[in-house]
Amino acid sequence: MTQEKAAPNVGRRDLLKLSAVAGAALAGASLIGNRTAAAADGELSLKGKRIGISATGTDHFFDLQAYNAQIEEVKRLGGEPIAVDAGRNDGKLVSQLQTLIAQKPDAIVQILGTLSVIDPWLKKARDAGIPVLTVDVGSTHSINNTTSDNWGIGKDLALQLVSDIGGEGNIVVFNGFYGVTPCAIRYDQLVNVVKYFPKVKILEPELRDVIPNTVQDAFTQITALLNKYPEKGSIKAIWSAWDIPQLGATQALTAAGRTEIRTYGVDGSPEVLQLVADPNSPAGADVAQQPAEIGRTAIQNVAKLLAGQTLPRETYVHALIANKANVNEVTKKLGIG
Amino acid sequence: MSVDIQLAPAIHFKAGEPSAKPGRGGTLAASALRAGSLLAFVAILLVFSLTAPYFLSVGNIGNVLGQSAISGVLAIGLTIVLIAGGSNVVTGGIDLSLAANMGLSAAVYATAAQLGYGDAAAVAAALLTGLLIGAVNAIAVVGAGIVPLLATLAVMNIVAGLELVLTQNTVIPASTPLLNALSSSGPLGIPALAYVLLVFTLIAAAFVQYTPTGLRLYAVGEFPDAARAAGLPVRRLVAGAFIASGLCGGFAGVLSVSNLSGSTTGSGEMLLPVVVTALLGSVFSRRLVPTVTGTLLSALFVGFLINGFQLLNISSVLVSGVQGVLILLVVSATTLLRRQEA
Repeated sequence: MTQEKAAPNVGRRDLLKLSAVAGAALAGASLIGNRTAAAADGELSLKGKRIGISATGTDHFFDLQAYNAQIEEVKRLGGEPIAVDAGRNDGKLVSQLQTLIAQKPDAIVQILGTLSVIDPWLKKARDAGIPVLTVDVGSTHSINNTTSDNWGIGKDLALQLVSDIGGEGNIVVFNGFYGVTPCAIRYDQLVNVVKYFPKVKILEPELRDVIPNTVQDAFTQITALLNKYPEKGSIKAIWSAWDIPQLGATQALTAAGRTEIRTYGVDGSPEVLQLVADPNSPAGADVAQQPAEIGRTAIQNVAKLLAGQTLPRETYVHALIANKANVNEVTKKLGIG
Repeated sequence: MSVDIQLAPAIHFKAGEPSAKPGRGGTLAASALRAGSLLAFVAILLVFSLTAPYFLSVGNIGNVLGQSAISGVLAIGLTIVLIAGGSNVVTGGIDLSLAANMGLSAAVYATAAQLGYGDAAAVAAALLTGLLIGAVNAIAVVGAGIVPLLATLAVMNIVAGLELVLTQNTVIPASTPLLNALSSSGPLGIPALAYVLLVFTLIAAAFVQYTPTGLRLYAVGEFPDAARAAGLPVRRLVAGAFIASGLCGGFAGVLSVSNLSGSTTGSGEMLLPVVVTALLGSVFSRRLVPTVTGTLLSALFVGFLINGFQLLNISSVLVSGVQGVLILLVVSATTLLRRQEA
């Protein structure tokens, strides 16, 4: 994490104060969490166990990495993965969960998903005696949720943004998925940080990112917005809770020649990290989660649970902020550089 | 009235008896295709029950029935349009707005429930939405004379747009006593939706296959000129088919809200599976014509196929491809047979 080094435009005292305030929630949350793969890996085994892996979709870098890593980890630990991918279709997701429950696996791991849709079925799995673990979705029916620390992600990204724009100016926000918990936490952290910089203003109305056609839609929305704010400096930055809208926004800025505006997002998709690495691109920063590590950790948690260990409610996997200064280093760490 | 009495048995005879067909070769081929498709169905069930664990468990069969409920209701709606409009894929009856109709009706239901309206009002609103969409289709096809393929395609886009406006492309959670009852399990631990599908099919089949109105629908679809000459209200029957289909979309919307605990995005993705199911249904009928019971069998066939794939741990990516192959086979087989008959 090199966020402090990369914040030359904000006073050190400001930064300290801010970190203390915005990190309060994080501190509380990390008390109940633990770090990745604490137990000795050699003791873990899933021999003879059938593990259901249900992914909302695998069209996004994060999902695919987490999904594949889970399948591989189950196999590595000697178990049999039953993996299903719903292709981002809620109806299919529910059907697949129903069939998974009928198969009575030793555990089910659910990767993402809209909480209100999946929760009743996760409850049915629990009622059928199947332990349920989740990745990046905090269901009350989940024994353990392996996720990035979204409070930390939100705080780091917001501080980087505020620092890059010198603590003042208009920012545009994509806020289409506040119903998805990680997005909500990241957004709330942005608001928490901005609150302490009275010269930073979130432009109203906020934009809504969509699925599918996220990139094209973000491109169109930002192009339209640039026509509304034609003067250079009238917008300083564009924020989104994930990096696919950031990709479309960055492309729109480049196409319109408005590269003075910086873009910010989360997830560490290779194409966005490439843009961050390009000194001429408006992509300012992208917080890279470690989805493969998250996937592996979730499966290791299943093995621990089935071995009789007690799991914490949340397991946090470290996220890395990639900015113009350190992006090559982060890409190498993620193994995609 | 005398027309009804004279016409109904004649059409029933044509629709029901293979021996009434002119081409003997065509009849044999049709019988072979029908027997073949039933055999294929049984063979697939057999293969899955031998290879996939849990496939034959009551819980799993109930799951497939429940999972087929929404697509089944929609496909039965489409079947009524196929019957009344004729089965020519380009110029015949088709309702492409059905999946979007379900999405909007579900959104209307979920919104009404969130606004505090009771189940009765929310169900009425959803069904009315479906009816209205069906009425717009009917006006576009019968009133304006637009080819159903284009008319319903346009309506599909309008309806999908309205759903986006209403939901802002987000999930609208909903929980009501009716929804809870629909998403729970009934006797034998089988999902309530499975029973809903069976009862709905029985009612629709009774209406379409065994009432004079249903038989007139076949007459209008297969021989529109003859039906017109016999004095049947062709335009009214075709319009009625679109309205019935719209109502099925509204009903499927209610079922969808119960299954997904609210309205969600992506209803448009149901369209292809529904069209596949309705077209595939023809091979389960005696004369290769769309029937309600054939559509139910087809919905279960597709449902068991997807379920078996999942139980065998075969990638779900392949399922769309398999559906595409199925529709290609069925449409080409029925087209070839019809040409032979002519």
